[in-house]
Amino acid sequence: MPQVKIIAKNFMDMVAALPAMKLDKLYDNTFICEAVLRSLPPLAKKYALQMLYIDVPVPVKSMEEWVLPDGFSKHRVAIDRLIQLRVFIENTDRKRETSYLLHPKFKSNLQKYLVYGGVLPREPMPSNITVRLPTLEELDAYALEQWECFLLQLISSSHAERLTNFSPSMMKVFQRGLLSQREKGPRLTESGFQFLLMDTNAQLWYIIREYISNSEDRGLDPADLISFLLELSFHATGEAYNINTLTEIQRSIIKDLADLGVVKLQQGRKESWFIPTKLATNLSVSLSDSSSRKQGLVVVETNFRMYAYSSSKLHCEILRLFSRVEYQLPNLIVGAITKESLYNAFENGITAEQIISFLQQNAHPRVAEKIPSVPENVTDQIRLWETDLNRVEMIPSHLYDEFPSKGVFEAACEFARENGGLLWEDPKKMRIVVKGEIHMQMREFLRHQKQ
Amino acid sequence: MASITSKLYSDDVSLLVVLLDTNPFLWSGENTTTNSLSFPKFLTHVFSFLNSILLLNQLNQVVVIATGLNSCDYIYDSSSSPTTVESLENGRMPALCSKLLQNLEEFLARDQELNKDESPPGIASSLLSGSLSLALCYIQKVFRSGPLHPQPRILCLQGSSDGPEQYVAIMNAIFSAQRSMVPIDACVIGAQHSAFLQQASYITGGVYLKPPQLDGLFQYLSTVFSTDLQSRSFLQLPKPVGVDFRASCFCHKKTIDMGYICSVCLSIFCKHHKKCSTCGSVFGQAHSSATTTSDRKRKTTES
Repeated sequence: MPQVKIIAKNFMDMVAALPAMKLDKLYDNTFICEAVLRSLPPLAKKYALQMLYIDVPVPVKSMEEWVLPDGFSKHRVAIDRLIQLRVFIENTDRKRETSYLLHPKFKSNLQKYLVYGGVLPREPMPSNITVRLPTLEELDAYALEQWECFLLQLISSSHAERLTNFSPSMMKVFQRGLLSQREKGPRLTESGFQFLLMDTNAQLWYIIREYISNSEDRGLDPADLISFLLELSFHATGEAYNINTLTEIQRSIIKDLADLGVVKLQQGRKESWFIPTKLATNLSVSLSDSSSRKQGLVVVETNFRMYAYSSSKLHCEILRLFSRVEYQLPNLIVGAITKESLYNAFENGITAEQIISFLQQNAHPRVAEKIPSVPENVTDQIRLWETDLNRVEMIPSHLYDEFPSKGVFEAACEFARENGGLLWEDPKKMRIVVKGEIHMQMREFLRHQKQ
Repeated sequence: MASITSKLYSDDVSLLVVLLDTNPFLWSGENTTTNSLSFPKFLTHVFSFLNSILLLNQLNQVVVIATGLNSCDYIYDSSSSPTTVESLENGRMPALCSKLLQNLEEFLARDQELNKDESPPGIASSLLSGSLSLALCYIQKVFRSGPLHPQPRILCLQGSSDGPEQYVAIMNAIFSAQRSMVPIDACVIGAQHSAFLQQASYITGGVYLKPPQLDGLFQYLSTVFSTDLQSRSFLQLPKPVGVDFRASCFCHKKTIDMGYICSVCLSIFCKHHKKCSTCGSVFGQAHSSATTTSDRKRKTTES
């Protein structure tokens, strides 16, 4: 099984990885075109807009005239991305000159958008129906609670108070790469730790990615899933939409999404509704924006004590990964960062940098204003403890001694140095140590010297 | 300045304030030349352009200000109107268009009311200074609110000729835009170049363009004026060919090549005066009269 790498990969990378046929089908949907366009680098967006009403292919050369010499690398990146997503289609004519044309479906969909504006396929709940909708704060709280409940079940199902409706096999898929089964029971792997330290958006990406890559086994077309998820991200947060407007497949997806906290389901008197939460709208937003970052809760003192203002079990579990949790009050978790707790974390593959960036990103607003938000002596000590572990470096090597003459010894030293393999030399006793990888060359060299 | 820049989004999020020239004399047809376009056609180009700006980034914001003959007002703000609510109420008219058109109609009616009092001689210029100030006020409000704000810029879609009587007010607006680092783009859709807008875009680092083919206005708008500020440093954009730096005199509001300048307050006059009308300094022969400063001040306030 390939190693599951934890990276906050963009949704669009996944779209770009789809085969051309599927991608062409996706562009039937106006929302996908819109989401794809918005995901592009600024320069690429502009090119796409500029090409919207140009019917003839534009040669590469004339396109290069649009940019200043300074911006050429940006231009390359933009063009590459456009081709990767098949927004631009490459065309080579008889004179071997390459030119670009906008994807026809993409083009017509965006032209429509420019005239009519963005129109959702379904209307929000009309205001004459008197149902109490959750406020935005309630919705945010709901999304957060649902998500934490899911995460807790993911990392330790025994701790979870209530279980989500995901089937155990589905849960296994999510856990793949994050947990490893050992005799003592499931244990978090290195990437599992990294996963927990990521921010909510990145975590959601990871889960959604797994969900999509697994969709084929469940008889779902990944393209359908992607298009529905993107469409969902264009719905207004906090508005209720009728579930009857969804297709059969989408209805089954939306139940899973409700478990993740992406939507909230609400049962009306006759019909049921779904309400997208903040997590849904963040799906197509670029990850880099810090506007979606949640409020921090951790205060670290110079005496290595750590206070986290939270009652969440999940936070407690995360903090337990690298600190000793001492006691837990109704809204406060108190812990200490110790050498032992950190060694435990390092052994599990968490790096000092990850811990420090977690502490900095989740700093309580009061301390976040200060610079540095985490005391310097603490961050330095965390790094020192990590380097302590790496004090001894193992290099497979070979020792040569009993050289016949000074001349041979010096020639051997010279040879080893040239090949970048000399580790240690002692001219008095005529002994050298070289790296294991050049041992064979060294032997060849010495054999020649003897003759 | 540092506090302002640190609050910007990292990406290409922009706030575009569009100033629409709604001067009835420009669009009435008396003034039209062969390549000019009608007002409805002009609006369709602008609507598509506004939609494309909103399409580029979900955080982008568009504000439209109408520049009338006697007044100017906000007629559309994308941040205050939810786009989905009334989208299908009136047939297939999108929310943006219907809302903007409705406000525009009301504005034009009000503007016409004001016009009845005093009919201007000949073809009057529209109140560009007023709408520039409105745009800058709006941008200042955005700067002061919220943790993050988009990068603002102003686009003037100007058709009518410059009104020399607005010279001081417009120059003040331009320098205020320069101070708050807001570029003023200018797209001239009239017959003549606009010296005011040439100076405005030159001073604030915006783009000045007078499209030769007005039928393809949207292409000009999307190619040149949709570029966000970040991308501008990588792209070839129209460069100013020549900027008309001529000033207007303060006394008769005429555009002049040469004139007299007050050595104290730098006010400009086309003729020799005995006294500066702005600061009250007395010009003339080396031996000036013996009036004290306080006396002079009182005189100017009385006059």
